[in-house]
Amino acid sequence: MPESLAVRRSTIPSSLTRVHEVLDAFAARDYDGELLTAVRHFPAREARWADFPAWVHPDLAAAYAAKGIRRLYTHQAEAAETVHAGKSVVIVTPTASGKTLCYNLPVLNATLENSDSRALYLFPTKALAQDQLAELHDLNQRLDNRFGVFTYDGDTPADARRSIREKGHIILTNPDMLHTGILPHHTRWTRLFENLRYIVLDELHTYRGVFGSHLCNVLRRLRRIARFYGRDPQFICCSATIANPGDLASRLLESDVEVLNSNGAPAAEKTFVFYNPPVVNRALGIRRSYINESSRVAQEFLKRDLQTMVFSNSRLQTEILLTYLQQANPQLPGKPETIRGYRGGYLPNERREIERGLRDGKIRGVVSTSALELGIDVGSLDTVVMAGYPGTIAATWQRAGRAGRRSGSSCAVLVASSSPLDQFIVRHPDYFFGNTPERAFIQPDNLEILINHLKCAAFELPISPNDKFGDTNLPDLCARLAEAGYLHLAGDNYHWTQEAYPADTISLRSVTSDNFVIVDITGAPTVIGEVDFPSALVFLHEKAIYIHGGQQHHVEHLDFKERRAYVKRVDVDYYTDAVRYTQVRPLEIAATKHCAGDQRVEHSYSHGDVLVRSQVVGFKKIKFFTNENIGDGKLELPENEMHTTSYWITLERPLLESLPFTVSERQSGMFGLLHALESFATLLLMCDSRDLGTAIGERPPPPDSNSSAIGAQHAAPHLGTIENFTPTRMQDAISSSPREFFEPNLYLFDAYPGGIGFSEPLFRTHALLVQKTRELIAACPCEQGCPSCVGPAGDLAPRAKEAALAILDRLCA
Amino acid sequence: MPAADKFSRLAALKPSKPMPARPAAIRTPGEEDTLGRLLGAGVASNHFGEHLAIRNWFSTPEFAEPSPTTLELLSRTRDESLSHKTRAALEDPEKWLFLDTETTGLAGGTGTYAFLIGLAWWDAGGLQVEQFFMRDFAEEHSLLQELSRRVAERPVLVTFNGKSFDWPLLENRFTMTRSIAVPKLAAHLDLLHPARALWKLRLGSVRLVELERHILDAPRLGWHRENDVSSALIPQFYFDYLRGGPAEPLAGVVRHNQMDLRGLAALFGKINEMLSESSGAANGVESLDLFGLSRFLQRRGEDDRAHSTCSLALAIGLPAEFRPKAHRELAQMAKRRGEHAHAAQMFLEIVADPHDGIHACEQLAIYYERHAKDPVKAVQFSELAIATLRRQRATSRDPFTAARSARLEQKFLQRLARLEKKTQPSSPARPQRARAAAAPKASSALW
Repeated sequence: MPESLAVRRSTIPSSLTRVHEVLDAFAARDYDGELLTAVRHFPAREARWADFPAWVHPDLAAAYAAKGIRRLYTHQAEAAETVHAGKSVVIVTPTASGKTLCYNLPVLNATLENSDSRALYLFPTKALAQDQLAELHDLNQRLDNRFGVFTYDGDTPADARRSIREKGHIILTNPDMLHTGILPHHTRWTRLFENLRYIVLDELHTYRGVFGSHLCNVLRRLRRIARFYGRDPQFICCSATIANPGDLASRLLESDVEVLNSNGAPAAEKTFVFYNPPVVNRALGIRRSYINESSRVAQEFLKRDLQTMVFSNSRLQTEILLTYLQQANPQLPGKPETIRGYRGGYLPNERREIERGLRDGKIRGVVSTSALELGIDVGSLDTVVMAGYPGTIAATWQRAGRAGRRSGSSCAVLVASSSPLDQFIVRHPDYFFGNTPERAFIQPDNLEILINHLKCAAFELPISPNDKFGDTNLPDLCARLAEAGYLHLAGDNYHWTQEAYPADTISLRSVTSDNFVIVDITGAPTVIGEVDFPSALVFLHEKAIYIHGGQQHHVEHLDFKERRAYVKRVDVDYYTDAVRYTQVRPLEIAATKHCAGDQRVEHSYSHGDVLVRSQVVGFKKIKFFTNENIGDGKLELPENEMHTTSYWITLERPLLESLPFTVSERQSGMFGLLHALESFATLLLMCDSRDLGTAIGERPPPPDSNSSAIGAQHAAPHLGTIENFTPTRMQDAISSSPREFFEPNLYLFDAYPGGIGFSEPLFRTHALLVQKTRELIAACPCEQGCPSCVGPAGDLAPRAKEAALAILDRLCA
Repeated sequence: MPAADKFSRLAALKPSKPMPARPAAIRTPGEEDTLGRLLGAGVASNHFGEHLAIRNWFSTPEFAEPSPTTLELLSRTRDESLSHKTRAALEDPEKWLFLDTETTGLAGGTGTYAFLIGLAWWDAGGLQVEQFFMRDFAEEHSLLQELSRRVAERPVLVTFNGKSFDWPLLENRFTMTRSIAVPKLAAHLDLLHPARALWKLRLGSVRLVELERHILDAPRLGWHRENDVSSALIPQFYFDYLRGGPAEPLAGVVRHNQMDLRGLAALFGKINEMLSESSGAANGVESLDLFGLSRFLQRRGEDDRAHSTCSLALAIGLPAEFRPKAHRELAQMAKRRGEHAHAAQMFLEIVADPHDGIHACEQLAIYYERHAKDPVKAVQFSELAIATLRRQRATSRDPFTAARSARLEQKFLQRLARLEKKTQPSSPARPQRARAAAAPKASSALW
């Protein structure tokens, strides 16, 4: 690594010397080439220009010219032309490529040509809408305030709403407000709907999984209401770079969408560095704390007066990093703080102040959660340090894009944690820097989600025989809803027959509305949080230690009826780890592929509907730092049953027989393999590890036998700060099936009732999944397994890693 | 997975309340007649279809000629004067339409329906009531069409809470038809607001039923809400009926709506009586109602009448808890008119009041300092206020009250310092110091 660095150095301009000093310092510490696993240099790229299209209203062109924009980047011009031609588009661009103009130009042009024309902008967060509002206000002023631009969200004062509904040419809102505030009251929005021409969906890639599946249904409702008012609006979408933007867009919009992915924007010179904290215990695979290392890296930059943004993956880590960096850069008397934090809990004014401070350079460093990842304008920074892999390649590039947004040279450093995903990424830089394999999936026809939105749709407008709502048998569903008392058939149409307002009880962001409220009863009872039902069983069972905001709480009582958990603040030296049994039973196999080794079938993989039964049966108390098991308890909690979809691999007897391992080594190998498989699957699916459940079960004997599979799933406690903690794997589950030949199914199931669309893609990408999982384990330098590959060594039989690799070799063959 | 199994497990399909085990009913034409008989209704039709219509004439309440003053007070909006057309419509009782709806819920939004629309107008000295009932959602268009016609004939709407509930809901319904325009109103008098102003003080709640019982003296009118249905149950009665359940409760809903309409008309009569100037002597009117009236008049800018009404209320005798408030309002009205001496007299009445006393002291201190030029008296009232505040602060456990008292006290101390300069120009320091020792924190601001 160091010598390649030296080669590049000659081509690096002098403005980068300070950045380079830092990299040199790292390289000097990098004795065995393990510290900096990648240093990639991206040369500056020239802009490719195009003229404003001839049809652009002269006033609008003048307004842009006054802002200094006299020409367009090629992709902006292309987007404008495609929209002008009446097509729906998705524009795929990196951060800071002027994507806002791609939609503002055609929308404003249409408004100037016809002042009745209306547009609706949807942003995933309120903050983004605020940011865009500022940009649009600026343009509007240059156009003598000819049009009305307003945000409409939970913060909009009640007395302003009426005039916004009448006067807003462009309404900036979010999917949640559209769902609860606009669609159920569409008769108040006739001006908007009767003239609705454009719908803008920014940050399209964030609409995936559960949120995306909900959004797709909200859009079905939106288009239905637009049709009622005689409109068929055109969609303009923007997405970060993912592998399937066109698929995602056409799935969300349920229509053809043109994909534009050539980028004509200039790019500043940039160096991208992968930093892997040094190993301190090779046998256990323990590395130095990535939080400390991140703050160290950031401090090296700050020390040289390079404006730096540090991203962390949780609020707690933000606070810790902020503390470290503020200590290292004390506030000068009478001067404002130069290092600031930025996250969701901060007040809007404070955030605006920080954004300004960053733009004018008064703030030298900022520590942020993902809040600053999306397109909020804070100007360009010199360097970006990411404490931990953000979870997706798209998000990593978005964060990295914060450095050197417009010009100059910059540097982005990714500091890896010891999680398998982080370790895979930093050890396989080509995977990251090559074409992104990340795909975003949704499952809008998940019945639980779809029916809830169907209720909302019926509330908004009676369901007529001509209506379509996803790929469903609508008359049948309506009849069922009528039977349950929600709808009533009158003439040909189904009408809403409940006093309640359906949208109120349906949240677009969470799995179910069935949540437990956490009440702190140390002093006067205060509600400190909320968790969904399945998590409550795992984290809030009686005697559990629940960690919230860095504070330990002892769960005194879990009230099932009232859905409340009563906790008291404590300070103990252990945490609890729930022991959960998970059984998976395949109900209907959608597809299976058999793979033969030497003549015999060795393994197969499938996907289909499954029944998942899980139950928390006990818990362990585990001491901090030493991870000793210092006690356990039994619990009697209700069994949780869920129908969902799953992908699974079946290992057949011939394969297992041929492996030179003992039964227990084989079994440990399978658990290790599943651990790694899950890590990689979350990467492919752009999802959170909570979205996928895992279980190992015996393959059910051929057809229709009721025998089920036993598996065990491990619940990690909320531990923001404790790194490298070693969760104890459950041997119990394995030993409960003491059969000589355990022909297992390795399940990866969607942790959402009805499934959220992960299983079929996993089935399709099976080959890639096992191959990459193999690479992940093979590249891990630990000896017998570590949290970064097959799981902590202490929990598994020796040779588990070897066994996992041996099985993977056969799967890849 | 088996289809039945799949659906039975969906949380989204779970009934929100237990469903009665009743076969899905298809009503026969004969049954429809039963409903008509039950409700006393006939089938009405227009080019949108059919619905049921129920017509009744009632001798009570009797027609009440709206006085010009009432109209002026009820229709006056903040700063625009009424157009000629609006005024002409308002002044013609033939153009009035009382309206009250029964709906499938209170949530609003596009999925809430008005299944029963009750209308009423003055006719032959009494009240003509007409109700439209939709036997099913499919009849909504013809129902709304009928409403649209009635509103065109009588474009002055009189409602109870109709400005924020009934009418916006009906506007939604009209918009949803995409074929029947929202009818234009010449004026909309919502009696909830004046009723609240006039009777909230006395009754606490101004639900129409309460007003009927206590204000309109329903028993005396011979009105009885026998077996009146509770409003909260009405949507469910309708849903049950739609799904083949009993129609009998709907007869109760129709009656309930009739009573509400009659109550509404009678309420107008009562408000008319109260607001008309001629009845100013207000024989037999409760003093609290007079006080409410005076506040209402004050808000509408009728200061003179407000003043005399308030004085009258005091003269008749207000309950002890309202007396200081009445004095305070009288004082404020006097002050606005520039009658400072009179205002001072009123404030003097309430200097000992725990709630308004401090304010009164302040006003009196100002009065004696600026208008009566009697700084000694001004000092006395300031000192009285300070003493009261200190007592309050000593006894109060609420930190907000204590902080407020401290703030007020400081204000008075500043005033006192200024006043004492006026009264004792030669020896300023001594008494102030003594006071400063008593309240060091507050007085530090003085030096």
